[in-house]
Amino acid sequence: MKDRVLIANRGEIALRIMEACEELGLDYVVVYTRPDEESLHVRKAKRKYRIADYRDPNELLSVADEAKCTAIHPGYGFLAEDFRFARRVVKRSRPLTFIGPRWEVIRDLGSKLNVKRLAKELDIPVIPGTTEPLYNEIEAEARAEELFEWLRESGEEDPRLLIKASAGGGGMGIEEVRELEEVRPVFRRVRAYAKRLFGDEGVIIEAKISRFQHLEVQLLGTPHGELVHFGTRNCTIQSPGRQKRIEIAPGLDPQFVNYSFDADALLAEIINHSLKLAEAVSYDSVGTWEWLITPEGRAYLMEVNTRIQVENEISAKISQVKSQTVNLIKEQIRIALGDKLRYQQKDIHFSGTAIELRLVAEDTQRNFKPLSGTITRFSWEKHPWLTVRTHVPQDKPYTIPTEYDPNLALAIVWGKDTKEAQQRALVFLEEVIIEGKRSQGEPLVTNVSFLKNKLTEILRFPE
Amino acid sequence: MSELYRELTELLERALYVRDIKGEDWQEISAVVGFLQELREKVYELPGEELRKRFSLLKEKLVALETLAAETLSPYEIVKITRHPQRFTLQDILENVYDNYTELGGEGEINLDPAVVVARAMISRRVGDKIYMHQVMVIGHEKGHGEEFRRGGSAKPWGNEKALHYMKIAETEGIPIHFYIFTPGAYPIEDPPGAAQQIARNLYTMAKLKVPMISFISEGGSGGAEAIGLADLRLMASRGYYSVISPEGAAAIEAKLKSGRPPRELVEKCARNLRLTAEDNLRLGTIDRIVPEPPLGARRQDYGFFKRLRYEMIRATDEVVLQTKSLRTFRKYVLSRKNGTEEVPEDFGIYVNWELTEDEKEILLENRSRKYREMGRWAVCGKESTFKHYLEKSHDLGLKVFHGLRYGVFKQSHRALRRMFEELTQESSALLKPVSDPVKTVYNLLSGKKRRIPKVVSWIERPEGPEELYVSPLALEDRTVTCPNAETHGCPDLWVPDLYGEFCGVCPNCGYHFPLEYQWYLNNLFDRGSVREFNEGLSSGNPLNFEGYAEKLAKARKSTGKNSAMLTFEAKIGGISLIVAMLIADFRQGTVGVAEGEKFIRACDRARITRRPLLALIHTTGGIRIHEGTLGVIQMPRCTVAVREYVDSGGLYIVLYDNNSYAGPVASFLGCAPYQFALRSTRLGFAGPRVIRETTGEEVPPDYHSAENALRRGHIQGVWDRRELRLKLYEALLTMGGRNLYYR
Repeated sequence: MKDRVLIANRGEIALRIMEACEELGLDYVVVYTRPDEESLHVRKAKRKYRIADYRDPNELLSVADEAKCTAIHPGYGFLAEDFRFARRVVKRSRPLTFIGPRWEVIRDLGSKLNVKRLAKELDIPVIPGTTEPLYNEIEAEARAEELFEWLRESGEEDPRLLIKASAGGGGMGIEEVRELEEVRPVFRRVRAYAKRLFGDEGVIIEAKISRFQHLEVQLLGTPHGELVHFGTRNCTIQSPGRQKRIEIAPGLDPQFVNYSFDADALLAEIINHSLKLAEAVSYDSVGTWEWLITPEGRAYLMEVNTRIQVENEISAKISQVKSQTVNLIKEQIRIALGDKLRYQQKDIHFSGTAIELRLVAEDTQRNFKPLSGTITRFSWEKHPWLTVRTHVPQDKPYTIPTEYDPNLALAIVWGKDTKEAQQRALVFLEEVIIEGKRSQGEPLVTNVSFLKNKLTEILRFPE
Repeated sequence: MSELYRELTELLERALYVRDIKGEDWQEISAVVGFLQELREKVYELPGEELRKRFSLLKEKLVALETLAAETLSPYEIVKITRHPQRFTLQDILENVYDNYTELGGEGEINLDPAVVVARAMISRRVGDKIYMHQVMVIGHEKGHGEEFRRGGSAKPWGNEKALHYMKIAETEGIPIHFYIFTPGAYPIEDPPGAAQQIARNLYTMAKLKVPMISFISEGGSGGAEAIGLADLRLMASRGYYSVISPEGAAAIEAKLKSGRPPRELVEKCARNLRLTAEDNLRLGTIDRIVPEPPLGARRQDYGFFKRLRYEMIRATDEVVLQTKSLRTFRKYVLSRKNGTEEVPEDFGIYVNWELTEDEKEILLENRSRKYREMGRWAVCGKESTFKHYLEKSHDLGLKVFHGLRYGVFKQSHRALRRMFEELTQESSALLKPVSDPVKTVYNLLSGKKRRIPKVVSWIERPEGPEELYVSPLALEDRTVTCPNAETHGCPDLWVPDLYGEFCGVCPNCGYHFPLEYQWYLNNLFDRGSVREFNEGLSSGNPLNFEGYAEKLAKARKSTGKNSAMLTFEAKIGGISLIVAMLIADFRQGTVGVAEGEKFIRACDRARITRRPLLALIHTTGGIRIHEGTLGVIQMPRCTVAVREYVDSGGLYIVLYDNNSYAGPVASFLGCAPYQFALRSTRLGFAGPRVIRETTGEEVPPDYHSAENALRRGHIQGVWDRRELRLKLYEALLTMGGRNLYYR
């Protein structure tokens, strides 16, 4: 029987999943909410259902049953990393295929603390700090004292610690301390916050690393035990709210920047560590291992994202399998439906540099405030080295829904080396035209000039 | 002529009284009343001769009717006698039994609670030509002769608090207390200090109050009666009633009525089934003695009765006091010879000083404890054979010796030694510190030694959760439920396997607690495989022969596989061993009867002997089981005595409420706990909304009994979340409780 995929997401990722399904010859069904009615993913889909909320499993599963779907693709965000949803999808009385890792893997790697624990067991370096949640302030103070000592010893002039809710994430429930005296009150505050928000009062303490590059390793595993990687990415350029804005693959380029350490060896090291952890949990889908790299060339594993990522395509752009281009979403769906990999690591070759630019309606001058309004004109010059992913229609005005991220488009640029990619990215940013109005009539601003600025800083450690 | 008019009025009142009790249709009572009224109207018109003739004829008829009425009294008619406005009240007793008295805490309507009267009183006896005066504290309910403000003797929470206050004063002054119980039940409101809490507090204090206490029951309405009922000797008026619930209330429950009056026949039947008369209670062993009244009950002018009551109260107090003395044989003999219904003697014959020495007070408390432990024990049924019984007994004895040695002798000496050593090292280090500190600093500086990070001496470690969660059978369905707070909190629908699995039956969005079966607690609260039940064979029979009860019991036994609503077991939390008494909803709504009470007492004793913490886990309790009558009610004082002894021995008693907990148990052995916690799902209180509406005439808000309000009123110490119950309990075990726990 032909598989039918429910695409439980919106915007550009829904479009990319649709495209992948078409290429694989699969049926698919799309859901959308009222504010998304104008989105391209709705216009292009043949079968679509309107729902109230992309986050409501009950609604999604009713649609899946009604439309006789056999699989669900959660995209990214919303329910993508909710292991309960993944579990429900496969355990319900009418089970579906969940396009993503097994729910146990999502659960085990979804907890940062658990990842840290696993990593320690496998001798993978993690950011110095506690690996078990702390509940007791006396203990917390003792651990904090130890960490301060360690930071001072390793030459940090202004050592700082981060006190985090162990169940937290996305920048919530994190506070910074500079002195030992602050530890207890902050610890108590974070603990109370964690209890209120996440229902678990566990708290962890970590050393704060002030200068770093944020790297990622893209992996792909299958239920048959195959495991390959698609290189690294660099996602250091982010908005203050820790939202990525520019991503580059590969993660470091010694031809482009002078590092104080052997960059290629470091990349190989984090790839190996990532593969080791993936193997230990029998990882069986696409996934991303996030790393922090210090200017001295130390690498620490931060967390694992058990889903397809926004920036997956830059990894695909620099990889070729048996001289064919790769589509990671297609690979993800194919593997989830039971197919074998059909190639090995040695068949994957890397060439050039890819850069992704995220075009967002936000006011970078005013603390990156997300904006709403209507896009009246959106166009760009076509180039063979350029792919633009967007759900914003170019033929008629589009109102940005206020309910979701104001992401407008992703521009993926390829160059034979980093310099070329950087120049091409700049060319794109010069050529792109986004015009629109905000609700009061003033012109809509985007982050294009911010991106132009930041392009000069790529792959470099901040001063 | 006025003489005759007075006699006629008196006769008419007697006739009306009979009519009130037996009903209008009984025999020719209504006709007699009619004739008497007619005669009284015509008293100045009719010729004297005829008047007198008709009067004596009617009198004869009435006397015959009275005799017949007394012979055919039904239990429900006794209830009516007890409630009749002409019946004697506490004020009448204070006037006629005591020699002088001073009311404390208010007079008449100007009163903290007019339903509770307290008086410092004197009672006298004649021995030969001497008159001895005794000081006593009189505490009781005042029904009044129909005055509205007395509320028929329904004590408000602060009325019971007033009673407790003066009990403590009596203890300070060392004078005996005479309790007079004239209550249909406590006034079921939760305003501070709270109906249930205050009764529990009273019982807890009375369990170890160091003065002789005598109670006299005329109208003993369940929990309200127990608030001042835990006495060393319990007397009862021969036409009084003592019951777990009013016959009307029982009928409403039996008929499953939500409102309105139950039919008269059912009320009569319930009154019969409840075994609420003095004779029944004496037979059941819930009272010690009956004070005889005139056949149709004593009224306010029955001076002979008051004389007898004075005699009986003195005699009872004497007996209690003598029980504590070593030199008592002859006086006891004299007292026992006077046992009977013969005329009350003018000369008492002996004198007993009611003051007790410290040693005698200890004996008094021991006697009281033994009395309540034995009370109603005969009604417990157990399946075990005599051999097993002795095996259990010897096991208990073995435990006692073992733990006595282990924690008593060895641990005490070990602890003393350790403490001495600790003191010694601390003292010497303080002495040397000024000398050693500078040296150390210099040394560290020179050798480049780092300052050492301080080590924590002791902190609470979190217990590991059970590796695999027990999955409730509720979780095995593929469906969703809607959280009741969805409208106000916007909760998404919950998938049942998630809700009853990982979420522990709690809505992750708003924290609403869905009810869970008791097995969930057994499996998820305690260390895997650590639960060992004991005394599981104990069960209730049908001690009152309550119609239909035996079948109900058999059904409950069959459906649950348990012999009673109380499970008692040993278990561990994070390695700490504890004793748990658990009331489960599945067995007759967790109501408490003879078997439940006995199992609880044995759990208390086992916890005390083995020095384990004691946890009362209340899945649900609907109160005292009405089908076991006063045998159920006395579980309140019985269990409270056992709990008090456990707590006094230095243990840790924690009560944890889930779902609904109401009435008797809450107003005694649960409500008196020093540490009480509730889950968010708890509804906790004295009486349910229906009873409150019927008693007070007022509607209570829907959240009246919520855990939050219980916390606000100070009934509980905290509201816990089911998801972290295990951890909270573990922390409580480590941080709370007395000095005598085995792990301290």
